[in-house]
Amino acid sequence: MNNPVLLIVIPLLLAFLSVIIKKAGKWLLLVGLLFNTALAFFITTGETIIGGFAPPYGINLVVDQFTLVGVILINTLMLITIVVSFDLVGKYSIVLLTALAGINGMLLTGDLFNLFVFMEITVIAAYILSAQAKKYHHTITYLVIGSVGSVLYLLGIILLYNLTGSLNMADVAAKLPLLTTKELLVPVLLIFIGIGVEVKLMPVSGWVKGVYSNANRLIAPLFASVIAGTALFVFGKLFVSVLPVSDTLTLLMLIMSVMTFVFGEFAAFNQKRVKNILLYSSIGQAGLVTALFISGLVYAAVILLISNVISKLIMFTIAGAFTEKYETDDYESLNGVFVHNKFTGIAFTIAALSMAGIPLLIGFYAKLNILIGFFQAQNYVLPAIILLMAIVEGAYIIKLLLALWAPGKEGQVSEKSFAVEKKQLLSVKNTIICLIVALVIIAGGVLIDITEKVVTDGQPLLGDQSPSFTISQSKGGE
Amino acid sequence: MKEGKKINLLTAQNTAIVLFFIGFYGLCARRNIIKTIISLGIMGGGVILYFISINHQPNSMPPIMGEVGIVYADPLPQALVITAIVVGISVTAVALVMFISMYHTYGTTNWQKVKKMLNERKNK
Repeated sequence: MNNPVLLIVIPLLLAFLSVIIKKAGKWLLLVGLLFNTALAFFITTGETIIGGFAPPYGINLVVDQFTLVGVILINTLMLITIVVSFDLVGKYSIVLLTALAGINGMLLTGDLFNLFVFMEITVIAAYILSAQAKKYHHTITYLVIGSVGSVLYLLGIILLYNLTGSLNMADVAAKLPLLTTKELLVPVLLIFIGIGVEVKLMPVSGWVKGVYSNANRLIAPLFASVIAGTALFVFGKLFVSVLPVSDTLTLLMLIMSVMTFVFGEFAAFNQKRVKNILLYSSIGQAGLVTALFISGLVYAAVILLISNVISKLIMFTIAGAFTEKYETDDYESLNGVFVHNKFTGIAFTIAALSMAGIPLLIGFYAKLNILIGFFQAQNYVLPAIILLMAIVEGAYIIKLLLALWAPGKEGQVSEKSFAVEKKQLLSVKNTIICLIVALVIIAGGVLIDITEKVVTDGQPLLGDQSPSFTISQSKGGE
Repeated sequence: MKEGKKINLLTAQNTAIVLFFIGFYGLCARRNIIKTIISLGIMGGGVILYFISINHQPNSMPPIMGEVGIVYADPLPQALVITAIVVGISVTAVALVMFISMYHTYGTTNWQKVKKMLNERKNK
């Protein structure tokens, strides 16, 4: 019963059913998500062969610890997003179910061409979802950039097929040492750019602002945490275990990732709208995660990825509620909005502080692991950049939180009467869900030994040998 | 090189590369949104042609096992290309739907005019 194929097949079946039974679409979506989330906790690591042909000729689904973390995390996050914004689902249930199937396929597949197909399924669903804001020129921009990315990815895997004679990930990885850097340069860079469109790396992330900043309470967290998280997991799988490349290529990709990180954080500092701050911050964090994957610090990258997508889920949901209730998300005209909505504000604040890396939250644990990993690898340039950017990050988060909590302009004495007019941001149910997710952020940061056990299950992720920080280390022991 | 043997430039691979860059040029240089979508199609077509041509050998037979001593064609690209074509068509369809919706809003097919209209709306 716990066959990972069901994670892909059941949502697709329900998507076809919801074409026939349109009225039940919303409920079918909920059933599909509940089924997937429940099943994700029961699948075990191993390989599933599809179609009766043994790999490398046939297609297989590979579940390792890394994929397992991804599947559980992404399905749960999507369930939370849909439950919080269930009233906005409406006609989009078919698209969301298709996206769910595509996302699970992307995470599970062990074949490069299969990955292309699942990526296209997800991305086409994402195009349709991004049209929800009725800003069609942004959708077309996204569509054009996304399609070019897909074509480049396809070209990359074709060249790789030409070189290795295989499209199976494990087989390609085994044959890769026989090839020279010169031969690998073009295919690896093409795949890097192709995946980079979804990951939001800098030169190809032009679509992000238009799509994210107009998205509503349902679509924004879906893009920022579910789809972006999936893309990052796929990136990690590809560039750590399938295409571990040589120094020249690593340097090239590392420079692009770090530039994305620096650009994202500085751009976020400059913004006035809450959603814009969050979207540039997620571009920056995506750059950092890719830089970590390329440097081989898999555990640190996964923890950062988890902390980032959970924070972004809460923050984009609340930012969506701002536009919904106040018709603006400019933080200067939302002074003291959290005075009226204290519990929503607490959830938002915990998520924001975790992003800034305040101790006792999971974001701090992520940053700690990153720094320890880099120092043990005797790399001192990247930690310097990360710490410098942490100041920028802290600055815009404090600025944002101050504006949203304190009524009155700068220089004024804060009084409750200066705050914006009172409106309930999220319903009681949604506030409770946001608070529970915020509790996960705290729990992940305080109980770090449990966090490590849950994420790694005692095995190194993708053969990663980098250290992870535990309580025993803090007491001076190894 | 012996006389009488010329280098054949008109191979499927070269055609594919030229097609790909025609598409890329169209994407960069054309302001018409329909032409942008067509360019995407041309780029995809170039990649697909490249895929089926990379392992092509003249006089190869369909890969039905049985006879010995014959060069068999590589079946994988042909099987995968069908999927890639279908994916390409779906993307084009979605792109055209989005274009029609946009055309109803702005009444133009030109990227620059759309941007201009947006700026005017913002200034108002």
